[in-house]
Amino acid sequence: MDEPDEALIRRCQAGDTDAFGLLVKRYAGRATGLAVVLVGDYADALDVSQEAFVRAWRHIRTFRGEGSFFAWYSSILRKVALTWLRRRRRRKETEPADACLAPASGVDPAVLAERNDESERLWRAILRLPTRHREIIVLSHFQGLSYKEIAGVLEIPLGTVMSRLHAARQALRKELSGVDP
Amino acid sequence: MSCEDYRPLITGYVDDELSAADRRRLESHLRACDACRRERDELVAFKEHLTMIKFKEPSDAELERYWKRVYNRLERGVGWILFSLGAIVVLCWAAFAAIEAMIKDPDVSLVLKVGVVSLIAGGVVLFVSIVRERLTVRKTDKYSREVER
Repeated sequence: MDEPDEALIRRCQAGDTDAFGLLVKRYAGRATGLAVVLVGDYADALDVSQEAFVRAWRHIRTFRGEGSFFAWYSSILRKVALTWLRRRRRRKETEPADACLAPASGVDPAVLAERNDESERLWRAILRLPTRHREIIVLSHFQGLSYKEIAGVLEIPLGTVMSRLHAARQALRKELSGVDP
Repeated sequence: MSCEDYRPLITGYVDDELSAADRRRLESHLRACDACRRERDELVAFKEHLTMIKFKEPSDAELERYWKRVYNRLERGVGWILFSLGAIVVLCWAAFAAIEAMIKDPDVSLVLKVGVVSLIAGGVVLFVSIVRERLTVRKTDKYSREVER
Protein backbone atom coordinates (compact mmCIF):
# COMPACT_ATOMS: atom_id res chain seq x y z
CA MET A 1 0.00 0.00 0.00
CA ASP A 2 1.20 3.52 -0.78
CA GLU A 3 2.59 5.43 2.16
CA PRO A 4 0.31 8.41 2.96
CA ASP A 5 1.52 11.96 2.30
CA GLU A 6 1.68 12.81 6.01
CA ALA A 7 4.16 10.00 6.71
CA LEU A 8 6.28 10.90 3.68
CA ILE A 9 6.33 14.57 4.70
CA ARG A 10 7.49 13.66 8.21
CA ARG A 11 10.34 11.65 6.67
CA CYS A 12 11.17 14.57 4.35
CA GLN A 13 11.29 16.93 7.33
CA ALA A 14 13.85 14.59 8.86
CA GLY A 15 15.98 14.95 5.69
CA ASP A 16 14.97 11.76 3.83
CA THR A 17 15.35 12.48 0.09
CA ASP A 18 13.99 9.03 -0.86
CA ALA A 19 10.67 10.00 0.74
CA PHE A 20 10.75 13.26 -1.19
CA GLY A 21 11.35 11.29 -4.38
CA LEU A 22 8.14 9.34 -3.73
CA LEU A 23 6.21 12.58 -3.20
CA VAL A 24 7.66 14.11 -6.37
CA LYS A 25 6.72 11.04 -8.42
CA ARG A 26 3.23 11.03 -6.89
CA TYR A 27 2.50 14.62 -7.92
CA ALA A 28 4.70 15.13 -11.01
CA GLY A 29 1.81 14.66 -13.47
CA ARG A 30 -0.53 17.09 -11.70
CA ALA A 31 2.31 19.55 -11.14
CA THR A 32 3.22 19.56 -14.83
CA GLY A 33 -0.45 20.02 -15.82
CA LEU A 34 -0.78 23.05 -13.56
CA ALA A 35 2.54 24.49 -14.75
CA VAL A 36 1.48 24.15 -18.40
CA VAL A 37 -1.57 26.29 -17.64
CA LEU A 38 0.64 28.97 -16.10
CA VAL A 39 3.59 29.07 -18.52
CA GLY A 40 1.89 27.81 -21.68
CA ASP A 41 4.65 25.48 -22.88
CA TYR A 42 5.21 21.84 -22.00
CA ALA A 43 9.03 21.89 -21.84
CA ASP A 44 9.00 25.07 -19.72
CA ALA A 45 6.31 23.53 -17.52
CA LEU A 46 8.60 20.58 -16.73
CA ASP A 47 11.39 22.99 -15.82
CA VAL A 48 9.20 25.26 -13.68
CA SER A 49 7.49 22.40 -11.84
CA GLN A 50 10.88 20.79 -11.07
CA GLU A 51 12.23 24.09 -9.75
CA ALA A 52 9.13 24.39 -7.55
CA PHE A 53 9.83 20.92 -6.12
CA VAL A 54 13.39 22.03 -5.28
CA ARG A 55 11.99 25.03 -3.41
CA ALA A 56 9.40 22.83 -1.71
CA TRP A 57 12.24 20.62 -0.43
CA ARG A 58 14.14 23.64 0.90
CA HIS A 59 11.05 24.83 2.80
CA ILE A 60 9.58 21.43 3.72
CA ARG A 61 10.21 22.06 7.43
CA THR A 62 7.81 25.02 7.32
CA PHE A 63 4.95 22.81 6.06
CA ARG A 64 2.50 22.48 8.96
CA GLY A 65 0.00 20.15 7.32
CA GLU A 66 -2.88 22.63 7.59
CA GLY A 67 -3.90 21.84 3.99
CA SER A 68 -2.88 19.17 1.52
CA PHE A 69 0.73 18.87 0.33
CA PHE A 70 -0.34 19.56 -3.24
CA ALA A 71 -2.14 22.78 -2.28
CA TRP A 72 1.01 23.94 -0.46
CA TYR A 73 3.19 22.92 -3.40
CA SER A 74 0.80 24.68 -5.83
CA SER A 75 1.32 28.02 -4.08
CA ILE A 76 5.09 27.60 -4.50
CA LEU A 77 4.69 26.51 -8.12
CA ARG A 78 2.50 29.52 -8.89
CA LYS A 79 5.09 31.92 -7.50
CA VAL A 80 7.94 30.24 -9.39
CA ALA A 81 5.86 30.36 -12.60
CA LEU A 82 5.00 34.04 -12.14
CA THR A 83 8.67 34.91 -11.60
CA TRP A 84 9.52 32.85 -14.69
CA LEU A 85 6.91 34.71 -16.77
CA ARG A 86 8.04 38.11 -15.51
CA ARG A 87 11.60 37.35 -16.56
CA ARG A 88 10.47 36.18 -19.97
CA ARG A 89 7.90 39.03 -20.22
CA ARG A 90 5.45 36.97 -22.27
CA ARG A 91 4.32 33.41 -22.71
CA LYS A 92 5.94 31.54 -25.54
CA GLU A 93 4.49 28.38 -26.98
CA THR A 94 7.18 26.29 -28.60
CA GLU A 95 5.53 22.97 -27.83
CA PRO A 96 1.80 22.35 -27.92
CA ALA A 97 0.41 22.89 -24.44
CA ASP A 98 -1.97 19.96 -24.96
CA ALA A 99 1.03 17.60 -24.82
CA CYS A 100 0.00 17.06 -21.19
CA LEU A 101 -3.49 15.82 -22.11
CA ALA A 102 -4.37 12.14 -22.00
CA PRO A 103 -6.15 10.75 -25.06
CA ALA A 104 -9.74 9.64 -24.53
CA SER A 105 -10.33 5.96 -23.93
CA GLY A 106 -12.97 3.77 -25.60
CA VAL A 107 -13.49 1.41 -28.48
CA ASP A 108 -15.30 3.30 -31.21
CA PRO A 109 -12.64 5.23 -33.21
CA ALA A 110 -15.19 7.82 -34.39
CA VAL A 111 -16.35 8.55 -30.82
CA LEU A 112 -12.74 8.61 -29.64
CA ALA A 113 -11.73 11.13 -32.30
CA GLU A 114 -14.72 13.30 -31.43
CA ARG A 115 -13.88 13.18 -27.71
CA ASN A 116 -10.25 14.04 -28.35
CA ASP A 117 -11.24 16.99 -30.53
CA GLU A 118 -13.66 18.26 -27.90
CA SER A 119 -11.12 17.82 -25.10
CA GLU A 120 -8.57 19.78 -27.17
CA ARG A 121 -11.12 22.51 -27.92
CA LEU A 122 -11.94 22.84 -24.21
CA TRP A 123 -8.28 22.93 -23.25
CA ARG A 124 -7.43 25.59 -25.84
CA ALA A 125 -10.37 27.70 -24.66
CA ILE A 126 -9.03 27.48 -21.09
CA LEU A 127 -5.58 28.55 -22.25
CA ARG A 128 -7.06 31.59 -24.00
CA LEU A 129 -8.54 32.88 -20.71
CA PRO A 130 -6.70 35.55 -18.70
CA THR A 131 -4.30 34.09 -16.08
CA ARG A 132 -6.60 34.81 -13.10
CA HIS A 133 -9.42 32.83 -14.71
CA ARG A 134 -7.22 30.10 -16.16
CA GLU A 135 -5.54 29.24 -12.90
CA ILE A 136 -8.69 29.15 -10.78
CA ILE A 137 -10.48 26.90 -13.32
CA VAL A 138 -7.58 24.47 -13.27
CA LEU A 139 -7.16 24.48 -9.49
CA SER A 140 -10.85 23.85 -8.98
CA HIS A 141 -11.77 21.49 -11.83
CA PHE A 142 -8.60 19.54 -12.53
CA GLN A 143 -6.61 19.68 -9.31
CA GLY A 144 -9.68 19.20 -7.10
CA LEU A 145 -8.66 21.82 -4.52
CA SER A 146 -11.25 23.09 -2.03
CA TYR A 147 -12.15 26.81 -1.91
CA LYS A 148 -10.04 27.15 1.24
CA GLU A 149 -7.03 25.59 -0.47
CA ILE A 150 -7.54 27.75 -3.57
CA ALA A 151 -7.68 30.86 -1.36
CA GLY A 152 -4.32 29.82 0.13
CA VAL A 153 -2.71 29.14 -3.25
CA LEU A 154 -3.93 32.36 -4.89
CA GLU A 155 -3.52 34.43 -1.70
CA ILE A 156 -7.04 35.84 -1.94
CA PRO A 157 -9.88 35.94 0.62
CA LEU A 158 -12.14 32.87 0.76
CA GLY A 159 -15.14 34.94 -0.41
CA THR A 160 -13.27 36.07 -3.52
CA VAL A 161 -12.71 32.45 -4.61
CA MET A 162 -16.42 31.94 -5.26
CA SER A 163 -16.89 35.21 -7.16
CA ARG A 164 -13.71 34.72 -9.20
CA LEU A 165 -14.58 31.12 -10.02
CA HIS A 166 -18.05 32.25 -11.08
CA ALA A 167 -16.55 34.91 -13.37
CA ALA A 168 -14.02 32.40 -14.75
CA ARG A 169 -16.73 29.84 -15.57
CA GLN A 170 -18.85 32.51 -17.25
CA ALA A 171 -15.83 33.61 -19.29
CA LEU A 172 -15.07 30.04 -20.30
CA ARG A 173 -18.66 29.34 -21.31
CA LYS A 174 -18.64 32.47 -23.45
CA GLU A 175 -15.26 31.52 -24.92
CA LEU A 176 -16.65 28.10 -25.87
CA SER A 177 -19.80 29.50 -27.36
CA GLY A 178 -17.75 31.96 -29.41
CA VAL A 179 -19.21 35.07 -27.76
CA ASP A 180 -16.84 37.77 -26.53
CA PRO A 181 -16.74 37.73 -22.73
CA MET B 1 -31.37 40.11 -3.57
CA SER B 2 -31.58 39.90 -7.37
CA CYS B 3 -30.81 36.84 -9.50
CA GLU B 4 -27.42 38.39 -10.38
CA ASP B 5 -26.54 38.37 -6.67
CA TYR B 6 -27.48 34.70 -6.43
CA ARG B 7 -25.33 33.62 -9.42
CA PRO B 8 -21.98 33.39 -7.56
CA LEU B 9 -23.78 31.42 -4.84
CA ILE B 10 -24.87 28.90 -7.49
CA THR B 11 -21.17 28.31 -8.21
CA GLY B 12 -20.57 27.56 -4.52
CA TYR B 13 -23.71 25.40 -4.44
CA VAL B 14 -22.68 23.09 -7.29
CA ASP B 15 -19.21 22.79 -5.70
CA ASP B 16 -20.77 22.00 -2.32
CA GLU B 17 -18.89 24.88 -0.72
CA LEU B 18 -21.76 26.97 0.68
CA SER B 19 -22.39 27.53 4.36
CA ALA B 20 -25.64 25.99 5.69
CA ALA B 21 -27.28 29.44 5.88
CA ASP B 22 -26.32 30.38 2.28
CA ARG B 23 -27.42 26.97 1.03
CA ARG B 24 -30.88 27.38 2.65
CA ARG B 25 -31.18 30.92 1.25
CA LEU B 26 -30.26 29.79 -2.26
CA GLU B 27 -32.47 26.68 -2.20
CA SER B 28 -35.41 28.83 -1.21
CA HIS B 29 -34.66 31.15 -4.16
CA LEU B 30 -34.19 28.22 -6.56
CA ARG B 31 -37.63 26.89 -5.69
CA ALA B 32 -39.11 30.19 -6.87
CA CYS B 33 -36.84 31.10 -9.81
CA ASP B 34 -36.84 29.21 -13.14
CA ALA B 35 -33.88 31.18 -14.55
CA CYS B 36 -31.59 30.39 -11.62
CA ARG B 37 -32.64 26.73 -11.64
CA ARG B 38 -31.71 26.64 -15.33
CA GLU B 39 -28.38 28.31 -14.52
CA ARG B 40 -27.72 25.67 -11.83
CA ASP B 41 -28.53 22.82 -14.24
CA GLU B 42 -26.32 24.34 -16.94
CA LEU B 43 -23.47 24.74 -14.50
CA VAL B 44 -23.76 21.12 -13.38
CA ALA B 45 -23.69 20.02 -17.05
CA PHE B 46 -20.76 22.34 -17.74
CA LYS B 47 -18.77 20.85 -14.84
CA GLU B 48 -19.51 17.39 -16.18
CA HIS B 49 -18.40 18.48 -19.67
CA LEU B 50 -15.05 19.65 -18.31
CA THR B 51 -14.33 16.17 -16.95
CA MET B 52 -13.56 15.25 -20.59
CA ILE B 53 -10.15 16.80 -20.07
CA LYS B 54 -7.75 14.34 -18.48
CA PHE B 55 -4.09 14.92 -17.80
CA LYS B 56 -1.63 12.35 -19.08
CA GLU B 57 -0.26 10.06 -16.37
CA PRO B 58 3.53 9.94 -16.85
CA SER B 59 5.03 6.48 -17.31
CA ASP B 60 7.36 5.01 -14.64
CA ALA B 61 10.38 5.82 -16.82
CA GLU B 62 9.23 9.44 -17.24
CA LEU B 63 8.65 9.77 -13.50
CA GLU B 64 12.14 8.41 -12.80
CA ARG B 65 13.68 10.91 -15.24
CA TYR B 66 11.63 13.71 -13.69
CA TRP B 67 12.78 12.84 -10.16
CA LYS B 68 16.42 12.53 -11.28
CA ARG B 69 16.30 16.07 -12.66
CA VAL B 70 14.84 17.37 -9.38
CA TYR B 71 17.45 15.43 -7.40
CA ASN B 72 20.30 16.80 -9.54
CA ARG B 73 19.09 20.32 -8.81
CA LEU B 74 18.97 19.59 -5.08
CA GLU B 75 22.53 18.27 -5.23
CA ARG B 76 23.74 21.27 -7.25
CA GLY B 77 22.17 23.56 -4.62
CA VAL B 78 24.27 21.92 -1.88
CA GLY B 79 27.33 22.20 -4.12
CA TRP B 80 26.79 25.93 -4.63
CA ILE B 81 26.32 26.52 -0.90
CA LEU B 82 29.61 24.71 -0.09
CA PHE B 83 31.43 26.50 -2.92
CA SER B 84 30.14 29.91 -1.78
CA LEU B 85 31.06 29.25 1.85
CA GLY B 86 34.56 28.15 0.85
CA ALA B 87 35.01 31.20 -1.39
CA ILE B 88 33.87 33.54 1.38
CA VAL B 89 36.26 31.97 3.93
CA VAL B 90 39.24 32.10 1.53
CA LEU B 91 38.53 35.66 0.39
CA CYS B 92 38.02 36.92 3.97
CA TRP B 93 41.27 35.28 5.07
CA ALA B 94 43.19 36.80 2.13
CA ALA B 95 41.67 40.25 2.74
CA PHE B 96 42.44 40.06 6.46
CA ALA B 97 46.08 39.06 5.77
CA ALA B 98 46.51 41.88 3.22
CA ILE B 99 45.01 44.51 5.54
CA GLU B 100 47.05 43.30 8.51
CA ALA B 101 50.24 43.53 6.44
CA MET B 102 49.31 47.03 5.27
CA ILE B 103 48.55 48.31 8.79
CA LYS B 104 51.83 46.91 10.13
CA ASP B 105 53.80 48.47 7.25
CA PRO B 106 55.43 51.72 8.51
CA ASP B 107 55.89 52.96 4.92
CA VAL B 108 52.09 53.23 4.35
CA SER B 109 50.73 56.67 5.35
CA LEU B 110 48.33 56.94 8.30
CA VAL B 111 45.71 58.65 6.09
CA LEU B 112 45.60 55.64 3.76
CA LYS B 113 45.36 53.24 6.73
CA VAL B 114 42.44 55.22 8.24
CA GLY B 115 40.77 55.35 4.79
CA VAL B 116 41.03 51.57 4.28
CA VAL B 117 39.80 50.75 7.81
CA SER B 118 36.86 53.16 7.40
CA LEU B 119 36.04 51.61 4.00
CA ILE B 120 35.95 48.13 5.53
CA ALA B 121 33.91 49.25 8.57
CA GLY B 122 31.37 50.94 6.25
CA GLY B 123 31.12 47.83 4.11
CA VAL B 124 30.48 45.64 7.16
CA VAL B 125 27.74 47.99 8.47
CA LEU B 126 26.03 48.03 5.04
CA PHE B 127 26.27 44.22 4.74
CA VAL B 128 24.80 43.63 8.21
CA SER B 129 22.00 46.13 7.50
CA ILE B 130 21.05 44.41 4.22
CA VAL B 131 21.17 40.94 5.79
CA ARG B 132 18.95 42.13 8.68
CA GLU B 133 16.44 43.64 6.23
CA ARG B 134 16.35 40.44 4.16
CA LEU B 135 15.79 38.33 7.26
CA THR B 136 12.93 40.59 8.38
CA VAL B 137 11.24 40.30 4.96
CA ARG B 138 11.77 36.52 4.93
CA LYS B 139 9.99 36.20 8.29
CA THR B 140 6.83 37.77 6.89
CA ASP B 141 7.05 36.28 3.40
CA LYS B 142 8.98 33.04 3.04
CA TYR B 143 8.97 33.15 -0.76
CA SER B 144 9.33 36.90 -1.24
CA ARG B 145 11.42 36.49 -4.35
CA GLU B 146 8.58 34.79 -6.16
CA VAL B 147 5.73 36.99 -4.98
CA GLU B 148 3.78 38.69 -7.74
CA ARG B 149 4.10 42.42 -7.30
